[in-house]
Parts: sequence; structure tokens; C-alpha cells
Amino acid sequence: MILAQLVLNGLLVGAVYALFSSGLTLIWGMMNVVNFAHGDFVMLAMYVAFFAATLLGWGPAAFVPVAAMALFLLGVLVYLMLVRHVMRGPMLAQILSTFGLALVLRYAALWAFSANFVSLPEDLTGQVVTLGGLRFEPSRVLAGIAALLVTLGLHLLLTRTALGSRLLAVAEDRTAAMLVGIRPDPMQALAWGIGAACTGIAGGLIALFFYVAPSVGESLVLIAFVVVCLGGFGSVPGALVAGLAIGVIESLSAFWVGAAFKDVVVYALFLGALWFRPQGLLGKA
Amino acid sequence: MAMTASRGAWGRGVAVLGVLAVLALAALLPFALQDVFHQRIAALVLLAAISASAWNLIGGYAGQVSIGHAVFFGVGAYSALLGYTLFEWPPIAGAPFGILISLVFATIIGLPTFRLRGHYFSMATIAAAELVRILVVNWPLVGGAVGLMGPAVPRSTLDLSFTSPRPYYWTFLGTLTALLLVTHWMSRSRMGFYLRAIKGQERAARSLGVPVQRYKYYALLLSAGFTSLAGSLYALMVGFVDPDSGFGILISVRMVIITALGGVGTLFGPLAGAVILVPLEEWTNATFGGAGTGITYVVYGFVIMLISRFAPGGLAELWRRLQAAGRRHAA
Amino acid sequence: MLLEARGIVKAFGSFRAVDGADFHLAEGEIVGLIGPNGAGKSTFFNCLAGELQPTSGRILFRGRDITRAPPEAHARLGLARTWQVPAVFEEMTVRENVMVGAFLRHGHRQEAMRRADEMLAFTGLSPLAASRAGSLGTPARKRLEIARALATEPELLLLDEALAGLTPAEVQAAIELVRRIHARGITLVIVEHVMEVILTLAQRAVVFHQGRVIAEGAPRAVVEDPAVIEAYLGHSLRRRSARA
Repeated sequence: MILAQLVLNGLLVGAVYALFSSGLTLIWGMMNVVNFAHGDFVMLAMYVAFFAATLLGWGPAAFVPVAAMALFLLGVLVYLMLVRHVMRGPMLAQILSTFGLALVLRYAALWAFSANFVSLPEDLTGQVVTLGGLRFEPSRVLAGIAALLVTLGLHLLLTRTALGSRLLAVAEDRTAAMLVGIRPDPMQALAWGIGAACTGIAGGLIALFFYVAPSVGESLVLIAFVVVCLGGFGSVPGALVAGLAIGVIESLSAFWVGAAFKDVVVYALFLGALWFRPQGLLGKA
Repeated sequence: MAMTASRGAWGRGVAVLGVLAVLALAALLPFALQDVFHQRIAALVLLAAISASAWNLIGGYAGQVSIGHAVFFGVGAYSALLGYTLFEWPPIAGAPFGILISLVFATIIGLPTFRLRGHYFSMATIAAAELVRILVVNWPLVGGAVGLMGPAVPRSTLDLSFTSPRPYYWTFLGTLTALLLVTHWMSRSRMGFYLRAIKGQERAARSLGVPVQRYKYYALLLSAGFTSLAGSLYALMVGFVDPDSGFGILISVRMVIITALGGVGTLFGPLAGAVILVPLEEWTNATFGGAGTGITYVVYGFVIMLISRFAPGGLAELWRRLQAAGRRHAA
Repeated sequence: MLLEARGIVKAFGSFRAVDGADFHLAEGEIVGLIGPNGAGKSTFFNCLAGELQPTSGRILFRGRDITRAPPEAHARLGLARTWQVPAVFEEMTVRENVMVGAFLRHGHRQEAMRRADEMLAFTGLSPLAASRAGSLGTPARKRLEIARALATEPELLLLDEALAGLTPAEVQAAIELVRRIHARGITLVIVEHVMEVILTLAQRAVVFHQGRVIAEGAPRAVVEDPAVIEAYLGHSLRRRSARA
């Protein structure tokens, strides 16, 4: 029974991982740029949720969309002011630009909000329900299901809509897309917006049950790397499967090996994956 | 032809003399600095220049951006103090073991990622450094979250424990000089050319017979070894290390930003970066106190973003541009 | 036989860019690979150079199997190449670019520099030796690529559209350079779709169409081959109708 509970909790957290990792995989797959500030985007969204809930008394139905919009704007801004200028430059500039951004966000947050761990009010989403011996914490269930739905929505957006096929066309071949009249710049800005909006929603959801602190971005960005590497670059379904898997692995290893080591297991898995399947577990050779 | 050759030899003689003169001045600097506070900063500048120059070998010359070099630095620092804690060795005796372990780590991180594009190496290094940091925090044998201490009072001269920063300054100056000599020699040899070719166009380099992965690996080994030595020297001077000051991500970031500021892939870029950033850091820490660390890294972040956006070559690039503009002006 | 390729297939997913091509090359030849756009000649060329690994088939260089050998091994064996889009090391000087090639056979800096200077003189790049490669125009970049490849002291040089995008005067100079390379005893394979170049330079032409070799022989005879005309014309006709 404990095992089932651990798997359930892992899947619910994993869905949120999948959501913000999908944002990263979209940006990465599309323009081959890695956003090292991705975890700090999630952190910012968590603070948006925290202040909306504590200062304004908002519920998740209000603060999650607001966080999504705020992060969408941030993503577009970061693309226009920073990424767009460095993405054709040397590798060093590509890596350092978003890494510098991560430092600014993380330590500005530390300075503004202090290093203290805070959390949202407990009673935001209702009472724990026990069903068939399993504990369903409403905050986790809500976050997991919402994240799952948004991730699937993103997949449908990319595969079933005209906008999605334009985005993918730019990802596939920038020059060819230009030849058929798609301007890559707005599409890439949009990809950054959508990618960041994913962190906005994920941050709003994860704040429901996770502590909020300036340092959370650091481990979240690594989780996103692991998920994207395992799921294959640019693949949202891959990110979904890998995200769920990482959630479960974390939950089980926290129980068996100890909570302090759950990240160690995930990072070791990542390094192992680089050794044996660098193209991702679901990726093509 | 003969004339250019002799002029080259003459120019080289002047350059060597110039370097020796600067070195002599640098060695005399501690006598000019009367108070211990400034002497200490001077020693810290050199120490930062050592680790940044070591990072520069792989990150600058070979263009493989590691953001996890703290893993080598921490291994060096911990090895020095662990030898003392467990076996009462003088801290410096741990340094070779640190280097050895760092080479093993470099192999584990480098071999799989060098087959792939640049980002993977960056990510693998971050993951490896974090992994080791968490393990160290939870490992009582190496001091856990508290860390390790060196000998409180020197038992013999072998402990290399001094109250004045001056002996450290000279030790670091010697190490930095050796490292820069190795770097200079490397950059002019086949390896230096191959690394720059790899950084420029990996595919083209391979088509000219450059064994790309092998040379990246050599550069990483050299870099990891010297970074580990820098960690041991740090432990020697400070006499204390904990997971954050050894393996923290900010330790890695510092090496990257110091090099990027001065100029990646240049011989003196890391030193120039350290001369600017380390005193600045001391100043912000002194001015803002505890909150200073946060502000320091916000500033760091902005500096890296500005560099990558406007001058990926750092101060060295700005300097070249200035010179070119001067020549155009003169002409 | 210097080089021999048997039954080369290169598939990308279900698309076979090269579909069973055979090719052979004797020492001292200049052979042109031609064919309409998308005929598979560039893919085949990259299989020979080791940049791509064929899906099936074998490639022998001096009787030695190099089918799966990495590009750096090709260079070591004496097989050098240039790139369709010049891939010079932009941050290095022209001389340093060539020295990278020269270091393959000469470990010492002075030796490599001497060798590089020889190649710069041979290709007429000496006046530009100290310029940053990134500051060069296309013709000089193409020349630099040739100098760099020659510095590896190859027996066989593979030129990938080394003359595309040059002005007629530059083409003449390049043709003359290729002749002088040949005079040094280096065997050449040239991918080109400027037919005129093949007619003047090549002793033998090999025509690709839809991933296969459809004709080979003396260049003059080959261009009059009905199958070749059909391949080129059919291609341009299809294109025209597609555009309409």
C-alpha cells in the first residue's frame, strides 16, 4: 500500500515536472538553445502564486493563469532582449547568457524575498480524501491533473493547429520556413513565451504543495535537463513520459534511500543516460 | 626573411624581459602592501586567477563550457583537509590525491559528453558537481554539512600554515606562473592549435585529422588537475572547507565569470578578470554585509549577460577593438 | 586501384539518397561527380569522406576498408576534403588555419609553420597569411580550405563544389590551381554542377541520378548520353511545371 501511495505521489509531482520540462524541450528543440534559467522561471511563478494567495487571498484558479501570463511576457522579453542576439554567436555566449539570467533572478529573489522557506496556506484546496487506502491530497491531485491536461494541450497545440505547424516548421528548418513565408523571429519569440508560460503554470501548481524559496530553481532546472535528455529533445510526449518516470523515481528513492539523496539518484540517472543513451530514452538514434 | 627572423628573436627577448620584470614586481608587491587586509586580497586575487586560468584551458581554449568545475576544486580542498583529519598528514600531502581523484571524475564526466554538442557537457558538469555536493553534505566521514578543518596551529613548517598572507601570496604566484607557462606552451603547440580548431569548427577540424574527443579530454584532464590544486591551495590558506565553499555552484560560476570578463582563451584574461572582480567582491561583501553575497551574484549575473550579449571575448576583445579604432584614427 | 566503393546505400529514414552506387578511382585521375540537384552526389561524396556512414556497401582505400572509419582517420590515411560551404576557423589567422592541417604530419611548430607557408605560397595566399580567416571573402576562403587540406599531405583530395559562386576570372584561377595540384601527383575527385568545369578539368565524369550512377566515361561523351540529357532536362522540366 505504501508503494502504491509513493507511486501515486510520484506521478502527480511528475506531471508537474513534465509540464515545465515541456517548456524547456520546446525552446531547446526549436532553436537549439538551452535555457539555464528555466528553473528560476518556475521559482518566480511560485512567488507570484505565494503573494497572490497570501496578500490578495486568491485561489489557484486565479493565480495560475496570472502566473502563466506573467511568465509568458518574461519569456518573450528574454528572447527579444537577450537570446535572439546570442543564439547565432559562440557557444560560450549562448550558455552564459541564460546562465547569467539565472543568477540575476535567483539572487535578486534572495535579496528581495530572503532565503526563508515559505508556503501557501494549507486550506486552499480542501481536505485530504482517503479512498481505498490511498491518501489523496487535493493540492497534489489538482496540480497533477491540471499539469497533465496542460501538457497534453501543448502537445495538441503543436501537432493539431496551424500555429503549431508553423512553430514546428521553424524548428525543422529555419531557412525553408522563411521560403514558405513564415517569419522565424515572431515564432521563436512565441516559443519562448509558451515555454515560459509552461513554467508559469507549473510554478503556480507546484506551489500548492511545495515550499517556496529562491533556491528551488537550481534543482528544478536540473530536473528539467534530466527529463528533456531522457525524453528526447523537442518531444513533448517524451517529456511527459520522462517527467512521470522521474517523479516516481524520486518518490521511491526518497523512501528507500532517504529524502536527502533523491536528487542524487536523479542526477546519477542523468549522467548514466549520457553514457548509454545520449539521444534520449525515447529519442531517435 | 632573415631580417624578420632576427626582429622576431629580438621582440621575443624583449617580451621575455618584460614578463620577468612584471614577475619581479609582482613578487615584491606584498612589501608595498603594509596591512594584512590588502595582502590577503592580493593573495586571493592570485588564487582566483589560478582556478580561472585552469578553467580557461577547457572552457576558453577548447570552448567546452563547464559550469561544474567546483567538483574539481572541492575534491582538491577536501583531499587536503581530509588527509589531515584522518591521518594527521600535512594538508599539502593530500593535494596529489585530490588531483588523482579529479582526473577520475574528469574521465567520468568528459568521455560520454564529448561525443555530444556543447550544452551537454555544461549540463553534465552542473549535475556532477551538485551530485557530489549533496553526497558530501550527507557523508559524516568528510564532515557532512559542517565541513573540515585544518591544523589549528602549525605542527611543523610542512603544514605550510602562516599567520601572514605573504607566504601564501608567493606560493600562489609561483603556481600561477607555472600554470601560465604550461598554458602558453600548450597554446603554441599542436594541442593549442587543435583546441582552437575544435572550438571553431568541430567538423572541419576532424576532416583535417584532429582527434576531437581525445584533445577535449586532454584539455579537461589538464584543467581538472590544476583546478584541484587550486582547491588544495585554498584549503591550505583558509584552513577550512564546507560543502558550499568547496562544491557550491557559485565556486564554478566564479571561475567562469572571471575568465569571461578578462577574455576566454587568452593567456592573461583570467588574471585580469580576477584583478577586477575579487577586490570588487570584497568591497560589496564589506559594504553590504551578509546581504552582500546576494548582491554580488546579481551583479555577476548582469556582467555575464552583458558580456555574452555585447562582447563574448571579454575585456581582451574590447581592448583589441580599442586598438583597432586607435589605428584607424591614426591612419 | 586507389579508391573503390561498392554498392553504397545511404538512407535517411525511408528515403534513399544514395541507392546502390559503385565507384572506382585510379591513382592520378581527376574525376568529376555530376548530376542534377538532389541526385545524391553530395551524400555520396560525404560517404567517401567519412562524414556520413553508408547504410550498406563498402569503401576501400588502397585495398583497406574505410567504410566505418571516422573522418579523422581518413585524413591520416591521406584522404583530404574541402566543404561546400567553406568551414574555415574564423578566429584564427590564415596561416594558423593551414598550420592545423600541417600539424597532422609535423608535430613541431616550426616544421608545421614552414609547411603551412609552402602551401600558402602554392595557393597564392601568402599576402593574406596574417589576416583573420573570418575577414576573408568567399574565393579566398575556398582557396584557404584547399591550402589547409593540402597541408595534411593527402594522396586524394575531394573537392566539394570548390568553384561554385566564383566569378569567371576566379573560376579560371581555380581551374589553374586544380591543375597544379594534380601536377603534384595528387588524385582528385570534384563534385560540381557547373558542367563547364568538369568538361575542362575531368578526365572522367560519373553522373548521378536518383541515388544511382547512370553514366560514366569521358566528359564529352557523357554529356551527350541520352540518359544524362533526360536526367538533367527531365529535372528542369519537372521543376518548371512544379513552379507553374
